[in-house]
Amino acid sequence: MTNPIPIPLEIHDLTVAYEHKPVLYGIDLKVEQGSLVGIIGPNGAGKSTLIKTVMGMIKQEDGYIKIFGNKNHKAITRIGYVPQRESVDWDFPVTAMDVVLMGRFGHTGWFRRINKRDRTFASACLEQMNLLPYADRQIGNLSGGQQQRVFLARALAQQSDLYLMDEPFEGVDAVTEKTIVALLKQLRDQGKTLMVVHHDLSTAKEYFDQLALLNMRLVAYGNTNEVFTNELLQRTYGGKLTVLSEVGSRKVNSH
Amino acid sequence: MSFFWEILQGPWETPSQVSWNLQIMIMGSLVCLSCGLVGTFVVIRRMALLGDAISHGILPGIVLAYLFTGSLSPGPMWIGACLAGLGCGVSIEWLSTRTPLREDAAMGLTFTSFFALGIVLLSLQAGNVHLDPACVLYGDIGLIPLEKELKLWNYTLGNQSIWSTGLVCLTTVISSFVLYRLLLVTSFDLSLAKSLGMPVLCVQYGLMLLLALVIVASFESVGVILVLAMMILPSVSSAFLFDRLPPILISCVPWSILYSIGGIHLAHWTDFPISASMALVGSILFIPCCLFGPKGGVLRKSNMQTGQRIS
Amino acid sequence: MSWVCQFYKFKYLLLILVGWSAHQLQADQIIDASAKDWMDRALRFWSFDEPSLQVIVVGVLLVGTNCGLMGGYIVTRRLSMFGDTLSHAVLPGIAVGYIISQSRNQWGLMLGATLSGFIGVAIISLLKKYTKIKADSAMGLILASFYALGICLLSHLQQAPGGGIANLENYLFGSLVGLSQSDLPAIIACLCLIVLTFILLKKELLVSGFDPSFARSIGLPVDIIQFFLWALLAFCIVSSLQIIGVVLVSALLIIPAATSWLLTHRMSHLLILSAVIGSLSALMGCFFSFLTNHLPAGPTIILCSTFIFLMVLFCSPYRGIIPAWARSRKRAQRIRLENTLKASYQVLEEFGFGQESFTQSHLARRRGKSDGEIEQEVYAMIRQGFATRTAKTQDQPNELPSENMISLTPSGWEVACRMIRNHRLWELYLTNEASYAPDHVHDDAEKIEHIIGEKTVRQLERILENPRMDPHGKPIPGRDDIDRGWASSPSSSIQ
Repeated sequence: MTNPIPIPLEIHDLTVAYEHKPVLYGIDLKVEQGSLVGIIGPNGAGKSTLIKTVMGMIKQEDGYIKIFGNKNHKAITRIGYVPQRESVDWDFPVTAMDVVLMGRFGHTGWFRRINKRDRTFASACLEQMNLLPYADRQIGNLSGGQQQRVFLARALAQQSDLYLMDEPFEGVDAVTEKTIVALLKQLRDQGKTLMVVHHDLSTAKEYFDQLALLNMRLVAYGNTNEVFTNELLQRTYGGKLTVLSEVGSRKVNSH
Repeated sequence: MSFFWEILQGPWETPSQVSWNLQIMIMGSLVCLSCGLVGTFVVIRRMALLGDAISHGILPGIVLAYLFTGSLSPGPMWIGACLAGLGCGVSIEWLSTRTPLREDAAMGLTFTSFFALGIVLLSLQAGNVHLDPACVLYGDIGLIPLEKELKLWNYTLGNQSIWSTGLVCLTTVISSFVLYRLLLVTSFDLSLAKSLGMPVLCVQYGLMLLLALVIVASFESVGVILVLAMMILPSVSSAFLFDRLPPILISCVPWSILYSIGGIHLAHWTDFPISASMALVGSILFIPCCLFGPKGGVLRKSNMQTGQRIS
Repeated sequence: MSWVCQFYKFKYLLLILVGWSAHQLQADQIIDASAKDWMDRALRFWSFDEPSLQVIVVGVLLVGTNCGLMGGYIVTRRLSMFGDTLSHAVLPGIAVGYIISQSRNQWGLMLGATLSGFIGVAIISLLKKYTKIKADSAMGLILASFYALGICLLSHLQQAPGGGIANLENYLFGSLVGLSQSDLPAIIACLCLIVLTFILLKKELLVSGFDPSFARSIGLPVDIIQFFLWALLAFCIVSSLQIIGVVLVSALLIIPAATSWLLTHRMSHLLILSAVIGSLSALMGCFFSFLTNHLPAGPTIILCSTFIFLMVLFCSPYRGIIPAWARSRKRAQRIRLENTLKASYQVLEEFGFGQESFTQSHLARRRGKSDGEIEQEVYAMIRQGFATRTAKTQDQPNELPSENMISLTPSGWEVACRMIRNHRLWELYLTNEASYAPDHVHDDAEKIEHIIGEKTVRQLERILENPRMDPHGKPIPGRDDIDRGWASSPSSSIQ
């Protein structure tokens, strides 16, 4: 009761395994409201896995995840998720507008018709991402940067409190990258919480307020200027803890 | 010219022929429409092969229901089919997650075993005219007009099979209209569906139940293998014509009428089985869609460019 | 008037179809009126001296082998559904082959069928490459379209004057009666081709299947190999059609191979095993079909192979479900025993290793379990020779009167020390190397201690430079403590 606003995301002792091999091991993380967190780590460190586990798309072996203080997955409706670009079927028969409107479904209910307000709202979201001229294009006929922005527009339309984004900067042009960064900061200033998987170390420092360094273990989590040190980065990128991964896989197998 | 005229007019020369073929046509269109609607969702979820597997896998359920009740009434057959389909789905899931087998092997193994079981059960009851292996393999839509008349009080309403298939078709139309949004989002982006709080698993199983219902309804007329053609062809052809889901779904209506009329004419002309002719007409109509369709047709210049850009 | 004729013709044809299917069911069952009962028939089958039966048995065995071998290739490459598609796609080829060769010439049909299967496969890969159709839809599309075309052509041929092609259903469900000596050469040729290919192209197949881009980079003609294998698969399917039928031939490809996939993951073993299982189930199915005089051969063969699969799935010694269940039960028992021993160590540690025995209630307090459970655990410990129970002695008056004193035997002491050591080493590793907080490591160590091997322990000791204290400040028993027996406590050895 002392804390009226529950913490958006609390992860405790989370262990995740993929085909009998541990990918995440004993992760503890508390993300405060209004923070813009970058998740940094080498390839195969489990960055995307972490986000997907929060979304309930991957089963966890151990530990718990609290979303807005809710242990069960009810509060998942307050999350906006931007998937990795490769994970989407770009031949799917929907237009950019349709995708953005999907973000409104949570507000309109599943069965009721979409009203004009939702439509104008969705247009505004597209407008903000400079996509209004492309609203009626099938999503496969957009460029990489435009596709990414469509999904960001959808996240905007969702009006979530917590955003999880999987590599939004992957394969986009410089203009899109700037738009996205501006959007992230704007959302943060509105009091939203954002967690963004990022792999480019050179830009990580200027884009994010907080960083989570991840390599199977959470190596460090904190303000960017405290965490973005040579020593910690060395530990993140300096190879895996072989004994941990080997024993961990035996532990998972013994279940 | 007279040759074409003959093909065109062949099935419709006398009034009784017209009424006979009209019944077949209505039946064919209803079957195609319900299959096409469910099939569209099945195809965009990339479950086409699972649809194939389930259409084979429900056979033992249908046969058992038939052996127990001794009739081809859709109610018990649907229950039997759902149970068998459920068994099939559960064992595919179990085999692919709990054993070293991959999903494709689990699928191939399960549905062929179920199908073999169904055939063996069927042949235990030899000399059966209504339900025989040929019917299982390509149906006998040509015999539909011989079905009993449905009588309600003193009014004769027409063919019983057509009415029950029509009911199934109506169910499919209504559910794809009502559940459109759920089906769309769960097919396109599972994570979004979850974050909107949609009952993802319920939708999945609901679609499976609907699939089983449609397969049972079309079982008698087109059999378990050709039903796959009716499920896949409309949506795959329309995918080259439209790039949004609603027109693709609506286009199932003209497709199904085209397929059944074309099938009847082809069958009349060549003496092919009508159900197989319907599927054949569908495949033939698919070719121009695939080659010249405005949305991604192979021979379209603009699409060739976008194709290159994406790849 | 013309319509009436039409109608009668139509109806007549349908009646023929229905009649033929019924007739076929009869014909499928190898009927012999002289066989009075099952024993008699079984004897006839196994005595193996009727020529027609010999042909059938040899054919069935060879087809089982063929499909088993090809299936090994299909299942390991995740092409199972592809095999199913291909088996349906050969159907129009049979009809076209018949029309062209104008006879039921085996080779003509085979060539036509192989070609049509090949065309189907080619269309699938073209659709996948050049259009937005996904792999599964493309396969379903080709399967259904080719099947429809095949049904149309074959039923047309069936109605042709002069009887035409052999029964349509022969090709859909297969039959044993239809099998004649003239069918065997094709099956044998197929077997030779498969065996030759698998022996001569062993390396190439392995590389191109496992890592196509690497194979391409070392100059292997991956596409040609792929196409050749498709053709071979089509040939194998076509030569088996006579016995199994179009609809279920993919099952004979998949199930034996899947069964052996449960048993072994080595390619050569897998191929041999699946060939054996394939021919065995084919023989079994053939026998049952013959025995009951009632069942169609194809589905019976498939059910037999499913039966073998289920037996292996449940009972195979390494991965079978029942043995695995027994093993996990045993492991749970071992973990419980080890936990009891560990608790005993901790009880002794509480005493400062001043005394050598303890009572059941000490243990119960430590383990946090009821007396009944502890009774069982102590009993298990004694039965395994890890502890002994002695009557209560007079010099410890503070204990409850009815309790016996428990003390660990040297082997019990060793296991207890090992568990404690594993636990504390792991806790230390997690805090020092993986930077866990000290209050987070206990639960993990509780699980790890039972599965960590001696090798890993040594590795941990090397990484941690032979530590003596765990993160909570408790001593870690070393090798020497175990050797010296419980009498000299670890605490004394650090001091």
